[in-house]
Amino acid sequence: MGYDDYLAEEPMVVTAALTGGVHGKEANPNLPETPAEIGRAAAEAEAAGASVVHLHARRPNGERSFETARFQEIDDAVRRHTDDVIIQHSTGGTSAPDDVRHQPLRTDPPPEMASLDMGPLNRYDRLTSENTRALVDSLHAEMVDRGIKPELEVFNDGHLNEVHGLLDRRDLADPVYATLIFGPGTLTPPTPANFLNAIANLPDGALFNTLGFGRHQLPFAAMGVLFGGHVRVGLEDNVYYERGELAESNARLVERVVRVADELGRPVASTAEARTVLGLE
Amino acid sequence: MTCPYLEYRRGDEHASFDRERAYCTATASFVQPMRADVCNDRYDLDHERHCEIYRAHAEVE
Repeated sequence: MGYDDYLAEEPMVVTAALTGGVHGKEANPNLPETPAEIGRAAAEAEAAGASVVHLHARRPNGERSFETARFQEIDDAVRRHTDDVIIQHSTGGTSAPDDVRHQPLRTDPPPEMASLDMGPLNRYDRLTSENTRALVDSLHAEMVDRGIKPELEVFNDGHLNEVHGLLDRRDLADPVYATLIFGPGTLTPPTPANFLNAIANLPDGALFNTLGFGRHQLPFAAMGVLFGGHVRVGLEDNVYYERGELAESNARLVERVVRVADELGRPVASTAEARTVLGLE
Repeated sequence: MTCPYLEYRRGDEHASFDRERAYCTATASFVQPMRADVCNDRYDLDHERHCEIYRAHAEVE
Protein backbone atom coordinates (compact mmCIF):
# COMPACT_ATOMS: atom_id res chain seq x y z
CA MET A 1 0.00 0.00 0.00
CA GLY A 2 1.16 3.50 -0.67
CA TYR A 3 0.56 6.79 -2.39
CA ASP A 4 -0.48 4.94 -5.57
CA ASP A 5 -3.43 3.49 -3.66
CA TYR A 6 -4.43 7.02 -2.69
CA LEU A 7 -4.18 8.14 -6.31
CA ALA A 8 -6.20 5.11 -7.35
CA GLU A 9 -8.92 6.19 -4.91
CA GLU A 10 -8.95 2.87 -3.12
CA PRO A 11 -11.68 2.93 -0.46
CA MET A 12 -10.49 3.64 3.06
CA VAL A 13 -11.78 1.69 6.04
CA VAL A 14 -12.54 3.79 9.13
CA THR A 15 -12.38 2.05 12.49
CA ALA A 16 -13.89 3.69 15.57
CA ALA A 17 -12.21 2.66 18.83
CA LEU A 18 -15.14 3.51 21.06
CA THR A 19 -14.17 2.81 24.65
CA GLY A 20 -10.79 1.15 25.27
CA GLY A 21 -9.61 -0.25 28.56
CA VAL A 22 -7.03 2.15 29.90
CA HIS A 23 -8.90 5.38 30.69
CA GLY A 24 -12.62 5.93 31.17
CA LYS A 25 -15.13 8.56 32.12
CA GLU A 26 -12.62 10.06 34.56
CA ALA A 27 -10.74 11.25 31.43
CA ASN A 28 -13.77 12.20 29.34
CA PRO A 29 -17.33 11.80 30.65
CA ASN A 30 -18.53 11.31 27.05
CA LEU A 31 -16.62 8.05 26.73
CA PRO A 32 -19.11 5.15 26.50
CA GLU A 33 -18.65 2.40 29.10
CA THR A 34 -21.89 0.45 29.50
CA PRO A 35 -23.24 -1.88 26.80
CA ALA A 36 -26.10 0.53 26.08
CA GLU A 37 -23.74 3.50 25.79
CA ILE A 38 -21.38 1.54 23.55
CA GLY A 39 -24.29 0.40 21.38
CA ARG A 40 -25.46 3.97 20.86
CA ALA A 41 -21.91 5.17 20.22
CA ALA A 42 -21.46 2.44 17.62
CA ALA A 43 -24.61 3.56 15.82
CA GLU A 44 -23.44 7.18 15.78
CA ALA A 45 -19.98 6.18 14.56
CA GLU A 46 -21.48 3.99 11.84
CA ALA A 47 -23.71 6.84 10.69
CA ALA A 48 -20.65 9.11 10.59
CA GLY A 49 -18.74 6.72 8.32
CA ALA A 50 -17.09 4.05 10.45
CA SER A 51 -17.42 0.51 9.14
CA VAL A 52 -15.53 -1.20 12.00
CA VAL A 53 -16.01 -0.71 15.74
CA HIS A 54 -13.14 -1.78 18.01
CA LEU A 55 -14.56 -2.88 21.34
CA HIS A 56 -13.33 -3.48 24.87
CA ALA A 57 -15.56 -4.60 27.72
CA ARG A 58 -15.95 -2.98 31.11
CA ARG A 59 -17.52 -3.76 34.43
CA PRO A 60 -20.46 -1.58 35.47
CA ASN A 61 -18.04 0.75 37.31
CA GLY A 62 -15.96 1.27 34.17
CA GLU A 63 -13.13 -1.09 35.10
CA ARG A 64 -11.86 -3.61 32.60
CA SER A 65 -13.60 -6.89 31.94
CA PHE A 66 -12.46 -9.73 29.72
CA GLU A 67 -15.51 -11.92 30.30
CA THR A 68 -17.22 -13.45 27.31
CA ALA A 69 -20.60 -12.63 28.82
CA ARG A 70 -19.78 -8.94 29.05
CA PHE A 71 -18.57 -8.87 25.43
CA GLN A 72 -21.79 -10.66 24.50
CA GLU A 73 -23.88 -7.96 26.17
CA ILE A 74 -21.96 -5.30 24.27
CA ASP A 75 -22.23 -7.09 20.93
CA ASP A 76 -25.95 -7.58 21.43
CA ALA A 77 -26.34 -3.87 22.11
CA VAL A 78 -24.20 -2.92 19.12
CA ARG A 79 -26.21 -5.18 16.83
CA ARG A 80 -29.49 -3.74 18.14
CA HIS A 81 -28.37 -0.20 17.46
CA THR A 82 -26.41 -0.52 14.19
CA ASP A 83 -27.22 -1.59 10.65
CA ASP A 84 -24.29 -3.78 9.67
CA VAL A 85 -21.13 -2.60 11.36
CA ILE A 86 -18.09 -4.92 11.62
CA ILE A 87 -17.39 -5.88 15.22
CA GLN A 88 -13.76 -6.13 16.29
CA HIS A 89 -12.96 -7.28 19.84
CA SER A 90 -9.82 -6.39 21.71
CA THR A 91 -7.83 -9.29 23.12
CA GLY A 92 -5.37 -6.95 24.80
CA GLY A 93 -4.88 -6.90 28.53
CA THR A 94 -2.07 -5.98 30.86
CA SER A 95 -1.30 -8.70 33.42
CA ALA A 96 -4.43 -10.72 32.65
CA PRO A 97 -3.68 -14.45 32.45
CA ASP A 98 -3.52 -16.02 29.00
CA ASP A 99 -6.77 -17.97 29.40
CA VAL A 100 -8.57 -14.73 30.26
CA ARG A 101 -7.20 -13.11 27.10
CA HIS A 102 -9.01 -15.73 25.01
CA GLN A 103 -12.43 -14.97 26.44
CA PRO A 104 -13.31 -12.07 24.07
CA LEU A 105 -13.12 -14.55 21.16
CA ARG A 106 -15.92 -16.75 22.52
CA THR A 107 -19.08 -14.76 21.91
CA ASP A 108 -21.90 -16.19 19.83
CA PRO A 109 -21.50 -15.33 17.02
CA PRO A 110 -17.80 -14.61 17.26
CA PRO A 111 -16.63 -11.13 16.31
CA GLU A 112 -15.66 -10.77 12.65
CA MET A 113 -12.30 -9.39 13.74
CA ALA A 114 -10.16 -9.32 16.87
CA SER A 115 -6.96 -7.56 17.83
CA LEU A 116 -3.70 -9.46 18.16
CA ASP A 117 -1.01 -7.50 20.02
CA MET A 118 2.33 -8.31 18.44
CA GLY A 119 4.57 -7.98 21.47
CA PRO A 120 5.35 -6.34 24.78
CA LEU A 121 4.73 -2.76 25.81
CA ASN A 122 5.26 -0.94 29.08
CA ARG A 123 2.42 0.47 31.15
CA TYR A 124 2.94 3.06 33.88
CA ASP A 125 6.30 2.62 35.65
CA ARG A 126 6.13 -0.98 36.82
CA LEU A 127 3.87 -2.95 34.44
CA THR A 128 4.41 -4.60 31.09
CA SER A 129 1.84 -6.11 28.75
CA GLU A 130 3.89 -9.14 27.83
CA ASN A 131 2.11 -10.54 24.77
CA THR A 132 4.46 -13.49 24.41
CA ARG A 133 4.81 -15.30 21.09
CA ALA A 134 3.15 -18.30 22.73
CA LEU A 135 0.10 -16.20 23.54
CA VAL A 136 0.07 -14.60 20.09
CA ASP A 137 0.11 -18.06 18.51
CA SER A 138 -2.61 -19.46 20.77
CA LEU A 139 -4.88 -16.45 20.19
CA HIS A 140 -4.29 -16.70 16.45
CA ALA A 141 -5.09 -20.42 16.49
CA GLU A 142 -8.41 -19.78 18.20
CA MET A 143 -9.18 -16.93 15.78
CA VAL A 144 -8.61 -19.31 12.88
CA ASP A 145 -10.87 -21.93 14.49
CA ARG A 146 -13.64 -19.37 14.98
CA GLY A 147 -13.26 -17.62 11.63
CA ILE A 148 -12.06 -14.36 13.14
CA LYS A 149 -9.84 -12.01 11.13
CA PRO A 150 -6.83 -10.86 13.17
CA GLU A 151 -5.95 -7.20 13.34
CA LEU A 152 -2.21 -7.22 14.07
CA GLU A 153 -1.41 -4.39 16.48
CA VAL A 154 2.11 -3.06 15.88
CA PHE A 155 3.05 -0.87 18.83
CA ASN A 156 6.62 -0.25 17.69
CA ASP A 157 9.08 -1.17 14.98
CA GLY A 158 10.23 -4.30 16.80
CA HIS A 159 6.72 -5.58 16.39
CA LEU A 160 7.18 -5.37 12.62
CA ASN A 161 9.75 -8.14 13.05
CA GLU A 162 7.11 -10.01 15.04
CA VAL A 163 4.64 -9.68 12.15
CA HIS A 164 7.18 -11.28 9.82
CA GLY A 165 7.89 -13.92 12.45
CA LEU A 166 4.21 -14.71 12.82
CA LEU A 167 3.97 -15.13 9.05
CA ASP A 168 6.92 -17.54 9.20
CA ARG A 169 5.28 -19.58 11.97
CA ARG A 170 1.66 -19.57 10.90
CA ASP A 171 -0.57 -19.22 7.86
CA LEU A 172 -2.35 -15.87 7.90
CA ALA A 173 -5.30 -15.36 5.61
CA ASP A 174 -4.84 -12.66 2.98
CA PRO A 175 -4.73 -9.78 3.24
CA VAL A 176 -2.59 -9.34 6.33
CA TYR A 177 -4.00 -6.35 8.20
CA ALA A 178 -1.76 -4.48 10.60
CA THR A 179 -2.47 -1.41 12.71
CA LEU A 180 0.59 0.84 12.99
CA ILE A 181 0.52 2.68 16.32
CA PHE A 182 2.35 5.93 17.03
CA GLY A 183 2.67 7.81 20.29
CA PRO A 184 4.64 8.07 23.53
CA GLY A 185 6.34 5.45 25.68
CA THR A 186 6.84 2.05 24.05
CA LEU A 187 5.00 3.13 20.93
CA THR A 188 6.77 4.11 17.73
CA PRO A 189 7.77 7.79 18.06
CA PRO A 190 5.19 9.77 16.07
CA THR A 191 7.17 11.22 13.20
CA PRO A 192 6.45 11.13 9.46
CA ALA A 193 9.79 9.41 8.85
CA ASN A 194 8.85 6.62 11.25
CA PHE A 195 5.44 6.30 9.59
CA LEU A 196 7.04 5.84 6.17
CA ASN A 197 9.60 3.44 7.62
CA ALA A 198 6.89 1.30 9.20
CA ILE A 199 4.98 1.09 5.94
CA ALA A 200 8.15 0.12 4.11
CA ASN A 201 8.82 -2.72 6.56
CA LEU A 202 5.41 -4.36 6.31
CA PRO A 203 5.16 -7.70 4.52
CA ASP A 204 4.40 -7.50 0.81
CA GLY A 205 0.69 -7.11 0.20
CA ALA A 206 -0.16 -6.21 3.79
CA LEU A 207 -2.78 -3.57 4.45
CA PHE A 208 -2.19 -1.04 7.20
CA ASN A 209 -4.40 0.86 9.57
CA THR A 210 -3.08 4.12 11.04
CA LEU A 211 -3.39 4.93 14.73
CA GLY A 212 -1.93 8.01 16.37
CA PHE A 213 -2.40 8.51 20.10
CA GLY A 214 -3.63 11.77 21.60
CA ARG A 215 -2.81 14.87 19.57
CA HIS A 216 -1.29 12.65 16.87
CA GLN A 217 -4.63 11.04 16.00
CA LEU A 218 -5.68 13.48 13.29
CA PRO A 219 -2.31 14.14 11.61
CA PHE A 220 -1.50 10.44 11.45
CA ALA A 221 -4.96 9.69 10.14
CA ALA A 222 -4.32 12.27 7.41
CA MET A 223 -1.06 10.50 6.56
CA GLY A 224 -2.96 7.23 6.44
CA VAL A 225 -5.40 8.79 3.99
CA LEU A 226 -2.59 10.02 1.74
CA PHE A 227 -0.50 6.87 1.79
CA GLY A 228 -3.26 4.45 0.95
CA GLY A 229 -3.80 3.19 4.46
CA HIS A 230 -6.88 2.82 6.59
CA VAL A 231 -7.52 4.85 9.72
CA ARG A 232 -8.61 4.39 13.32
CA VAL A 233 -9.97 7.19 15.47
CA GLY A 234 -11.98 7.29 18.67
CA LEU A 235 -12.02 8.06 22.35
CA GLU A 236 -9.95 4.98 23.23
CA ASP A 237 -6.93 6.66 21.67
CA ASN A 238 -7.70 10.36 22.05
CA VAL A 239 -10.20 12.05 24.36
CA TYR A 240 -9.78 15.56 22.88
CA TYR A 241 -11.26 17.17 19.80
CA GLU A 242 -8.66 19.89 19.89
CA ARG A 243 -6.26 21.25 22.46
CA GLY A 244 -8.12 21.79 25.74
CA GLU A 245 -11.49 20.70 24.34
CA LEU A 246 -12.79 17.24 25.17
CA ALA A 247 -14.44 15.43 22.28
CA GLU A 248 -18.21 15.31 22.55
CA SER A 249 -18.41 11.82 21.10
CA ASN A 250 -16.68 9.18 19.04
CA ALA A 251 -18.84 10.22 16.11
CA ARG A 252 -17.35 13.71 16.11
CA LEU A 253 -13.89 12.20 15.65
CA VAL A 254 -15.16 9.93 12.85
CA GLU A 255 -16.94 12.81 11.11
CA ARG A 256 -13.75 14.86 11.13
CA VAL A 257 -11.55 12.20 9.55
CA VAL A 258 -14.24 11.49 6.95
CA ARG A 259 -14.22 15.21 6.09
CA VAL A 260 -10.43 15.09 5.72
CA ALA A 261 -10.70 12.07 3.40
CA ASP A 262 -13.41 13.79 1.38
CA GLU A 263 -11.31 16.93 0.98
CA LEU A 264 -8.36 14.84 -0.15
CA GLY A 265 -10.45 12.82 -2.57
CA ARG A 266 -10.14 9.46 -0.81
CA PRO A 267 -13.42 7.55 -0.75
CA VAL A 268 -14.52 6.13 2.58
CA ALA A 269 -15.47 2.46 2.42
CA SER A 270 -19.02 1.37 3.06
CA THR A 271 -19.31 -1.60 5.38
CA ALA A 272 -19.78 -3.89 2.38
CA GLU A 273 -16.67 -2.43 0.75
CA ALA A 274 -14.77 -2.78 4.01
CA ARG A 275 -15.59 -6.48 4.15
CA THR A 276 -14.20 -6.86 0.63
CA VAL A 277 -11.05 -4.85 1.46
CA LEU A 278 -10.40 -6.82 4.65
CA GLY A 279 -11.20 -10.21 3.16
CA LEU A 280 -14.08 -10.88 5.53
CA GLU A 281 -16.44 -12.32 2.94
CA MET B 1 -5.55 -7.06 50.27
CA THR B 2 -6.40 -4.05 48.16
CA CYS B 3 -4.43 -0.83 48.27
CA PRO B 4 -5.06 1.15 51.46
CA TYR B 5 -5.29 4.32 49.38
CA LEU B 6 -8.18 2.90 47.31
CA GLU B 7 -11.72 4.10 47.86
CA TYR B 8 -14.83 3.90 45.73
CA ARG B 9 -16.62 7.22 45.31
CA ARG B 10 -19.30 8.71 43.10
CA GLY B 11 -17.64 12.07 42.89
CA ASP B 12 -15.28 14.71 44.19
CA GLU B 13 -15.05 18.46 43.77
CA HIS B 14 -14.19 18.03 40.08
CA ALA B 15 -16.49 15.29 38.79
CA SER B 16 -19.50 13.14 39.57
CA PHE B 17 -20.50 9.75 38.21
CA ASP B 18 -23.56 7.50 38.16
CA ARG B 19 -21.67 4.70 39.89
CA GLU B 20 -18.90 4.54 42.42
CA ARG B 21 -15.48 4.52 40.79
CA ALA B 22 -11.99 3.76 41.98
CA TYR B 23 -10.44 6.77 43.69
CA CYS B 24 -6.87 7.13 44.89
CA THR B 25 -6.68 9.02 48.18
CA ALA B 26 -2.91 9.37 47.76
CA THR B 27 -3.29 11.48 44.62
CA ALA B 28 -6.80 12.74 45.37
CA SER B 29 -8.00 11.71 41.93
CA PHE B 30 -10.06 9.07 40.21
CA VAL B 31 -8.06 6.11 38.99
CA GLN B 32 -7.77 4.95 35.39
CA PRO B 33 -9.67 1.67 34.99
CA MET B 34 -6.52 -0.20 33.99
CA ARG B 35 -4.70 1.00 37.09
CA ALA B 36 -7.68 -0.09 39.21
CA ASP B 37 -6.61 -3.68 38.51
CA VAL B 38 -3.42 -2.89 40.42
CA CYS B 39 -5.29 -1.12 43.24
CA ASN B 40 -7.46 -4.23 43.63
CA ASP B 41 -4.55 -6.70 43.35
CA ARG B 42 -6.33 -8.51 40.52
CA TYR B 43 -4.69 -11.40 38.68
CA ASP B 44 -1.04 -11.48 39.79
CA LEU B 45 -0.89 -7.76 40.40
CA ASP B 46 0.22 -6.38 43.73
CA HIS B 47 -0.06 -2.70 44.55
CA GLU B 48 3.03 -2.87 46.77
CA ARG B 49 5.14 -4.07 43.84
CA HIS B 50 3.38 -2.63 40.80
CA CYS B 51 2.09 0.81 41.78
CA GLU B 52 4.64 3.59 41.78
CA ILE B 53 2.12 5.89 43.46
CA TYR B 54 1.65 3.54 46.42
CA ARG B 55 5.39 3.02 46.70
CA ALA B 56 6.15 6.73 46.68
CA HIS B 57 3.57 7.50 49.34
CA ALA B 58 4.42 4.49 51.47
CA GLU B 59 8.02 5.62 51.53
CA VAL B 60 6.99 9.13 52.52
CA GLU B 61 4.88 8.04 55.45
